[in-house]
Formats: sequence, C-alpha cells, structure tokens
Amino acid sequence: MTDKAQNEPNIGSLETEMNRGFLHILVLALLEKDMYGYSMVKHIETLGYKVEENTLYPLLRRLEKNGWIASKWDLTEDRPRKFYAITREGRTLRAALLDVWKNQNRVLDEIIKEISHV
Amino acid sequence: MSDKLEAYLEEISHFLSGRAEREEILSEIRSHIMEKAAEGPGEFTDAAIEKAIAAFGPARKVAEKYLDHSRPIIDPAYKRYLFRYTTLLFAFHTLLTVVAVVFKEDFILFPFLFMPRLGVIEALMYLPTAFLADLGIVTVVLYFITQSGKDVRLPWPKLGVDLDEVKPPKKSFWVSRIATAVGAVIMLAITDFALYLFAKHQAIIFANLDWTNPRPLFTPGAGRRISLIIIAGFAVATLNLLIKLFTSSRWVDVVDDVISLGLIGLLLTQSFDNLFAVRIAENILPKIRFAAKFMLLFIALMTTIELIKNIVFISRRKLKLPN
Repeated sequence: MTDKAQNEPNIGSLETEMNRGFLHILVLALLEKDMYGYSMVKHIETLGYKVEENTLYPLLRRLEKNGWIASKWDLTEDRPRKFYAITREGRTLRAALLDVWKNQNRVLDEIIKEISHV
Repeated sequence: MSDKLEAYLEEISHFLSGRAEREEILSEIRSHIMEKAAEGPGEFTDAAIEKAIAAFGPARKVAEKYLDHSRPIIDPAYKRYLFRYTTLLFAFHTLLTVVAVVFKEDFILFPFLFMPRLGVIEALMYLPTAFLADLGIVTVVLYFITQSGKDVRLPWPKLGVDLDEVKPPKKSFWVSRIATAVGAVIMLAITDFALYLFAKHQAIIFANLDWTNPRPLFTPGAGRRISLIIIAGFAVATLNLLIKLFTSSRWVDVVDDVISLGLIGLLLTQSFDNLFAVRIAENILPKIRFAAKFMLLFIALMTTIELIKNIVFISRRKLKLPN
C-alpha cells in the first residue's frame, strides 16, 4: 500500500470508533422501557440511525455483565425473546455519560464558531 | 428449525468455544434471526432465514465482536519482547548446542532445557526444534504476564547486533542489481572453474601450485567428497545471487542458510583418518583437526545468526502493522 493510500481518511473505521461511545448512551437511553434486541434495532432505524446487529448484542452483553442493564427471557409468545431493562447503576452511568457527551458537543460548537469567525 | 441457521450458530459456537455463556449468546442470535426472518414479506422461508443470517454477518466476525473486549493471549505491547527474548534464549541454546557437540556433554535444566550429547548432523537437526521450544517458553511466560493483568516492567536487553534495526539495503535499485549481477558472474566463474578442476583432477584443493602436475591435498575418496560439498556450496551461493536479480525476498537467504548449514554439517562429519594425501607430521595433525573443526563451527554459528536474523526480519515484517 502506498503512503498516500494509507493516509487517506477511512470514514468507515473512524465512524465505528465514534459509535462505540455513542451506542452506550443510545442503548442506556432506550432501555428506560423494556425492549428486546430486534425491537431496539427497528426502533433505532425509525429514528433515522442504523446500528449493526452484530454490534448491538455483544454491547448488551457487556452492559449486563457490568450490572448497568438486566435481562430476562420472555417465553410466553410464539418465539422466545430476551428483554432488557436499565438498572439503577445504569441510570447513574447514563447521566454521567450524557454530561460527557454534552460537554464534548459544547466544546465542538465553540470551536466551530471560532473557525467560522476566522 | 432451519438447518442453515443451526449450521451458522454452530460455526459461531466454534469460535466462542470455552466461553461459559455461549449457549446464551447463541439463543439470543437465534431469536434475533427468527424474528427478522418472520417479519419479511411473504412466508417464513429458508430464503428469509438466509437473508437474515447474511445481514447478521459472517460467523467469525460475529464471534470476534463478543471477544473484542476480552484480554488478548499476549498483550500487543509485548510483541517486541517476544522476538527479543526468543532471540536471546535461542542464542544461549545454540551456544550450549555447540558446547554439547565439541565437549560431548549433555545438559539438563528441567523443565526448560534438555540437550543430549549430540553429533554435528544431529545438532543441526536439533536447532530448529530448539528454536520452536524457546519461542514456546517465551510465549507461555508472556501469556501468564498478560493474563495476570498487572503492569509488569520487563527488562529490555540491548544486543550488539540489534535485530530490530535489521532493514533491507537502502541502495538504489540499479546499484543493488548491478552489484548482485557482478557477484553472480564472479561466483558463476568460481563454480565453473571448480567444476573444471574437479572434472580434470577429481579434486579442487591442491598441495602445490604447479598447474602442469598438481598434487591433490586429500586422498582420492575424501578429496572427491570434500570437493563436491564445496562445489555445492559455490553453486548455492551462485543460485542465491542469480535469484536475487529477480526478487528481494529474504526467503532466498533462509533457504541458502539452511542448505549451507547442511553442507557445513557434512564437512564436519568428514573423518581425519587417511584424509591427507601429503605427509603431515603426527604432532601437527591434532592441531589441524581442532582448527578445522573450530573454523567450521564458527562459520556454522555465523550462518545460524544470519538465519535467525532473516527469520526475525520476515516475521517482523509480517507482524509489523495491523491494517
């Protein structure tokens, strides 16, 4: 690979990096109401965003392992579904992550304003 | 239940093998795919399941996402240590091998080292195994350090010849090619001349410089064997240079080093009984024998170091950077 090709920005991989943090907040925000994986994917799509299915489930697993969400299988319907809900610790984490995210947005807005005045 | 779905889940399961919660993971993926396949237009079909599987992604990629945050086998920060420590351990191992050959001793340092008394050919066969064992020992140590999760500061021994700094020659393309071509022509001439001498006199090493009546240094049988080994060495060097006109691959050097080590091994097995065709004083013979063995072992050691450098260079290039 040439140096030029290596230096060209790869939006795909950068977007994946950015999504890591965002997805945490997104899932913790969504799970104020009990939801299962597929319903979350569909709901996010209706909001004009797309989340990779094979990224969502491992994330749910990690959040559950850390005690920020809890799950239970619902076997009453035709198909078994695993429902998730945010925990008290998850709400605390969500508030902290939202503060970080808001602060990052504020900083970026400031910088963009500065650039536009140059 | 679709066979394709079960096959897909089983494939994911292989990559997750060993993880206690893999059944839970597979159940959730199964649930997702069934849900998605049932929602599409038309009936719940195998085609719909296949489509849902394709959207979920290849089994290995899916499994990787679950393993993404798990601890690596060896921390990437220790990658350079793996090579450095293996090189040092193998150098020590090679030294002990030479000692075992020269002094006919065996060494045991259970469970890390067992080196039986070896002949030269056996030693050459033993060294690749020793290299793999050394690599394994260093890997196991770095594995346990990584799994401990502690911030361990490992010593970084400096080498006289720093293998990390091994780089391809920086000469320009044409200078490098011309030098190689000149070298190839010279080696080809030497090989041809040696073949000419061998065809005419059945030997290439002589005790005098009289071209009209040369006296071979060695007795006919031993002389033929030694001459053929040396001619083979010239031929290998010539071939190396000729191939390098077309490729800069270090694998060429690796093959050259391995064959050279084999040829040196053959020379080392040469008996000194009835070797010389000219009269040599009895008291000098042991000194000549020692000097010859020492020289050949030294060349073997240098060739082994070259071989390790080439293998390390190839390995480092392959592992250099993830995309």
